[in-house]
Amino acid sequence: METMTDTLERVIKVTAEVLKVNVSKVQENSRFVRDLGAESVQSIELVAAYEEEFGIEMDEDQALAVKSVGDATRFIDSIR
Amino acid sequence: MSDDKLSSLTQEQIKILEKNGCRSSSWDNVRVSSGFDPSQVSNTVFEGEVLIGSMKGNVILPDGIECRSEIRNACLYNVTVGDNCRISQVNGRLMNLKIDDNVLIENVGTITCTGSSTFGNGHEICPLNEGGGRELKMTEKTSAQVAYLTIMYRQEKEFIKNLNKIAENFAGTMLHSKAHIGKNACITNCQTVENVYIGPYSVIDGAVSLKNGTIVSSEEAPTIVGKGVVAESFIFQKGSSVKDGAMVSESLIGEGTAVGKQFSSENSLFFANSECFHSEVCSVFAGPYSVTHHRSTLLIAGYFSFYNAGSGTNQSNHMYKLGPIHQGIMERGCKTGSFSYLLWPSRVGAFTPVLGKHYSNFDTSEFPFSYIDEDNGKSTLIPGMNFFTVGTMRDGEKWPSRDRRKNSDKLDLIIFNVLSPYIGQKMIRGQQVLAELYEKAMKEMYQKSEAKPEYVTYKGIHIKRLLLKTCGRYYKLILSKYFGDILLKRVRKMSPKRIRSILQPDSKGTDGTAEWVDLCGLLCDRARVERLIQDVDSQEFDTFDKLQSALLDIYNAYEVDEWNWFLAQYKILNGCNLASEEDEKLKKFLEEWKIASLKLVNMVLNDAEKEFDETARAGFGIDGASDADFTAVRGTYEGNSFVNKLKQQIKEIENKYEEVMELI
Repeated sequence: METMTDTLERVIKVTAEVLKVNVSKVQENSRFVRDLGAESVQSIELVAAYEEEFGIEMDEDQALAVKSVGDATRFIDSIR
Repeated sequence: MSDDKLSSLTQEQIKILEKNGCRSSSWDNVRVSSGFDPSQVSNTVFEGEVLIGSMKGNVILPDGIECRSEIRNACLYNVTVGDNCRISQVNGRLMNLKIDDNVLIENVGTITCTGSSTFGNGHEICPLNEGGGRELKMTEKTSAQVAYLTIMYRQEKEFIKNLNKIAENFAGTMLHSKAHIGKNACITNCQTVENVYIGPYSVIDGAVSLKNGTIVSSEEAPTIVGKGVVAESFIFQKGSSVKDGAMVSESLIGEGTAVGKQFSSENSLFFANSECFHSEVCSVFAGPYSVTHHRSTLLIAGYFSFYNAGSGTNQSNHMYKLGPIHQGIMERGCKTGSFSYLLWPSRVGAFTPVLGKHYSNFDTSEFPFSYIDEDNGKSTLIPGMNFFTVGTMRDGEKWPSRDRRKNSDKLDLIIFNVLSPYIGQKMIRGQQVLAELYEKAMKEMYQKSEAKPEYVTYKGIHIKRLLLKTCGRYYKLILSKYFGDILLKRVRKMSPKRIRSILQPDSKGTDGTAEWVDLCGLLCDRARVERLIQDVDSQEFDTFDKLQSALLDIYNAYEVDEWNWFLAQYKILNGCNLASEEDEKLKKFLEEWKIASLKLVNMVLNDAEKEFDETARAGFGIDGASDADFTAVRGTYEGNSFVNKLKQQIKEIENKYEEVMELI
């Protein structure tokens, strides 16, 4: 069974890929816009990338309300 | 002028006139009404036939001030002056004019009509394609729809010939050897006005040069021409304003359109409620609500509507090969970001903001509500995303509320709806295309064991592979909301006891299977356009008035056609008629509507919240207290009226859902 830590690692990896930042810069408490410099159009890319990585469908409005790596991890764990 | 019989001047009147410094080579050619008062005429030359009305009353200016009726310091050549006019300080001459009652002409150079003129009516201009091939004979009756059909339907040769004939015939009726100045017009501080029809209640103050044009105006929608304006071969429609150094050449300025601040235009059209300041425009067909406000913006060879140009927006329409022959289409509701660039030919889908510079030619018309951006020189598309931005929802609300047209006989017919069958059909197609692209990309990945491609390309644009599935789902969500909206609208209109009783096509509507088109603001079933073309070709509609009446019928049929389109699409997408569905299916349809509607409101709320977050506060509190400064200027998310309206919508969706479920 996958743990919260495993999910977090994968979320960090995917986030770094989409936002084209070094994986070491992405932490659990990193906020997409404020800390990682995400542009608003990248929010959909992040949702799409998480969906592909975890083979899930994220609820559209709730997914776009996610603001940080930690939020994304918890959200993904809650629907898997 | 009143119906008073005009009579020759009496010897006494001539004596008074001459004493007041007036002269004429033949006083016999001057005839006056019974209310003419020679004591109110001084230092004026009369030549040719001059007819003068009563001078008993005062001239009432637009600001309500009343001035004595008089004629002084002027030269009148072949001029009819209506009752109670005030003409003074004409430094050049008034020649070949018919001036109606209560007109003020003061401190002007020349106002003349030379030869015969149609006053810009029938003048041929080259919008959209600078190289020609889409010529339009503009007239004061040219609506956005007539212009669209004439410019865009070139494949219908007979139809174009007939439309041109209607324009020519109309222009023929406007051919006169005297220029008309309508009642209550005010013309002050102008230099040269030549071959210009000036409609009633026009206010022209400080224009430098106006030549070969028509200023349509009325009491309810006066047209304003302001300081420093230079215009040649033009039509200014009712309620428009052209001011502050605008330079307009071979262009039509539509109803309620505002032009000014050194804006320059050539071979272009601007329909209802457009706003054009500073920028330069050439061969542009700007539909209703086209807005360009910035000095460094060039719009060229494009079709726009409900459009907003960011500063420094620019396009190219030729590559130094066969000349300026390329053209671009930006469907309704697009925006271009600051210093964005587009290389025509390209076609941008509806409600799409374009950011960055684009050197490839693309067609994104199947993907409304998208973002076009650039990524290392590649033009990229994010389909569907713009529906969830607070801006799109605001735009949809603000356009109808900002209709400046005050006249009841509006020329341009506008369906404002953001969601319509025109957009719906595109989303259905866009969803299919995204699914096909996704399948293709996955197949290639597995078959060729290739690494996951970052992008797929479609009609010249790059779409991130990752987005194909997710964005397709967004279109599905919007369609669920829209289809439900149509059903609820029908329920509201018909007030049925049971919903099933209204699930039939409307006999007044089209069969709903044809493509929908956007006739420059008028969204309609193409079958109706085909019928219109036939009727024009069979000479049934051979005047602008008849054409306008037919277009008005199309406009009025929007709701029934939309309903029939929805039922037809439902059948295509679900394989059976909505009316034949089990109750459970109807409930599911409504449940999906509710969920989609709530999600979409939440997504827009989420976007609105960004306007109040930490990032949005970066420019506030220059010397500290940034939160307090921000709140003082911008207010709070919770207190924002638009946000609260959206939150109210959540309750309304729940209520509507409950109400309509009762009817199943």
